[in-house]
Amino acid sequence: MDHFPTNWGRPRNDAYDSYGTYPIPHRPYNGPKDAFGEGVQRTQQPIVTGTSVLAIKYKDGIMMAADNLASYGSLARFKDVQRLTAVGEFTVIGASGDMSDFQYIQSMLDDKMVEEFTSQDGHALGPAEIHEYLSFIMYGRRTKMDPLWNSFLVGGFKEGQRFLAYVDLLGTTYSASAMATGYGAHIALPLLRTAVEGKENLLTEEQAQKILEECMKVLFYRDARSLNKYQIATITAAGPSISESRELATSWSFAEGIRGYGAQTQ
Amino acid sequence: MVAVPDMDSLVNPQQRQFNPYTENGGTILAIAGADFTVIAGDTRQSEGYSIQTRYAPKVFRLTDKAVLAVNGFAADGNMFVKKVKQRLEWYRHAHAKDMPLRAIARLIQTMLYARRFFPFYVYNILGGIEDDGTGAVYSFDPVGSYERETCRAAGAAQSLVQPFLDNQIYFKNQLAAPGMSHPTHLPLPDVLSIVIDSFTSATERHIEVGDGLEMYVVLAKGRGLGGMEAIGGVQELSERTEGERLFVVRRELKKD
Amino acid sequence: MTSIGTGYDLSASTYSPDGRIFQVEYANKAVENSGTAIGLRCKDGVVIAVEKLVHSKLLVPGANRRIQTVDRHIGLATAGLMADGRHIANRARDEAASFRDIYRSPPPLKTIVDRVGLFVQAFTLYSSVRPFGISTILGAVDKDGPALYVVEPSGVFYGYHGAAVGKGRQLAKTELEKLKLAELSTREAVTEAARIIYAVHEDSKEKEFELEMSWIGNESKGVFVPVPEDLLAEAERKAKEALENFE
Repeated sequence: MDHFPTNWGRPRNDAYDSYGTYPIPHRPYNGPKDAFGEGVQRTQQPIVTGTSVLAIKYKDGIMMAADNLASYGSLARFKDVQRLTAVGEFTVIGASGDMSDFQYIQSMLDDKMVEEFTSQDGHALGPAEIHEYLSFIMYGRRTKMDPLWNSFLVGGFKEGQRFLAYVDLLGTTYSASAMATGYGAHIALPLLRTAVEGKENLLTEEQAQKILEECMKVLFYRDARSLNKYQIATITAAGPSISESRELATSWSFAEGIRGYGAQTQ
Repeated sequence: MVAVPDMDSLVNPQQRQFNPYTENGGTILAIAGADFTVIAGDTRQSEGYSIQTRYAPKVFRLTDKAVLAVNGFAADGNMFVKKVKQRLEWYRHAHAKDMPLRAIARLIQTMLYARRFFPFYVYNILGGIEDDGTGAVYSFDPVGSYERETCRAAGAAQSLVQPFLDNQIYFKNQLAAPGMSHPTHLPLPDVLSIVIDSFTSATERHIEVGDGLEMYVVLAKGRGLGGMEAIGGVQELSERTEGERLFVVRRELKKD
Repeated sequence: MTSIGTGYDLSASTYSPDGRIFQVEYANKAVENSGTAIGLRCKDGVVIAVEKLVHSKLLVPGANRRIQTVDRHIGLATAGLMADGRHIANRARDEAASFRDIYRSPPPLKTIVDRVGLFVQAFTLYSSVRPFGISTILGAVDKDGPALYVVEPSGVFYGYHGAAVGKGRQLAKTELEKLKLAELSTREAVTEAARIIYAVHEDSKEKEFELEMSWIGNESKGVFVPVPEDLLAEAERKAKEALENFE
């Protein structure tokens, strides 16, 4: 029963349709509504977001980088967020996109790892399995039209094999030796490819770190949703390790020469 | 007819809706000979102007005599291939043999049409050898319409490649020499050359095509290697030499 | 058991005139026939050991474990019907997972034991079901440190410093009482546990057995895992030695 008398016997809206010219199917519905219909909400847009994640293959395994910022639109809302997370003994996941969806996925993966641990069957999930599982979750949710709004890089090292792959909110997957999500795919990836492709088995840890640092710097200069605080993760035969937050040394002396920013008034 | 704007859209603000699809570029192609089939695809995966990877296979071995090429939305494509492979495995468990090519074609139609109202956004081309030993190509639209053909191109550069194929395979707009007629099937070396030329040309003129080329060659039972010898970088995928034989040829394409 | 045959023992939902539930007491009998299981709550962790009777030489060594893992930091051992033990372990896992889901933190052992106890007790209420034929030793290191509990077929549970269930429980308890558990390290407890299991095993009457042992503590990096093979072998060697000296 519609309890609002204003809706009774008013199949049309005088403001838009004073002469009742709209065909019946196009008129607003004033009948009873499902009280909980509005309660079912799906992610239609990301809210608190992380920007690019970078990852490359190098001699000893995989190296990844992501900054510590979670933005609320253009507001730099949280400046101490970890976007790189270890899953099990062989894998690190780097997330961009919606941070609440990322936290949900972290807890879901942790549950999965506990389930695997308790079975005590002598099999541990490696990066390939975790990426496959994650891509099923992501593709499943997009198919329900209720996506988890993220792009992920999954890096790992198990049984002497390096692994690096991507998955996003559409369930799209791919693999390469240098990868980047979001803005980084436009700005940093060309630099990464030049530095890495063909040299995957030669790059040392120091060199790999330098490449990523350089790219994070370029991103900080050019990506307005980035931060000069970031972390680096390595996944090698020794397992995953995620660094403490580090600062980028940036130089702004050139800004003096920019009209409207520096000393000049004209 | 005058379009009546939906009144709801005038009263309520419009909500942007999540789009569950994207286009990942690339092109696929298959040509059937009298006793062989070639199924090929490039290996570039892209979204918009970004190359995501230079190696993402679009052509998949289903059985020793059936190969499936999938093009369109990569996530749907990979999931679809996974499901087809699963159904073929179940068939093997139930019947102790591989599913015949024409049956795979009908299966693919059924599976695509099952999602008529939320389609797999993929164009499929199935190639292989029929039970009667002839080379065959089946092409599908995303919701399952299909037909058997001699050749078909699909994907980003379909509009560039298909007319070339019409001319070179079906001899469209070519007059046969007086007293001669056009052959119904071309020999394997000619077909391989046409496939390679198709992809190098598509790479030149289409930004979403390039990086690598994978050509699968299926040879009918008892047919010699005739025409394979000249090609470099051939890898055999079939384990037995007595039945149908399956090969893959990998080549580089321009990466710009 | 003077009231056997009076008809009050046919259902778990019927009391005897003197207020007992015979089905639960019979369930305890099933436990008493089982190989011994012990648990030691020590200074920096928990050790659980089981005398797994091997009823056939055809069985694969190490198969059919009686110590199971519930969560990263929780494990349990059962004495009694093996199948019931598996069921209870699965239930405990589900409860631990559900706690994690709701509270986003590792469950304290007390919470899990509480829920497992309720579950077991529910099977003492109805004529349509039989009570669990197992006693369960649960061990963990949680936010409050090492913890050890036993859940009985009736559904009651108690916390312990040292626990023993199954055939050799009496002797095992006596041995456990001699230990200063609160001062014992997990590494020392492994040796003691092995010694006790070997001591309570009745060589003459029983078939072969396997010593099964898991632990949690700093040495296992805070996760509940089987005791490393070399350490287990060493403990077994010492246990056999102690047994010979004793005899």
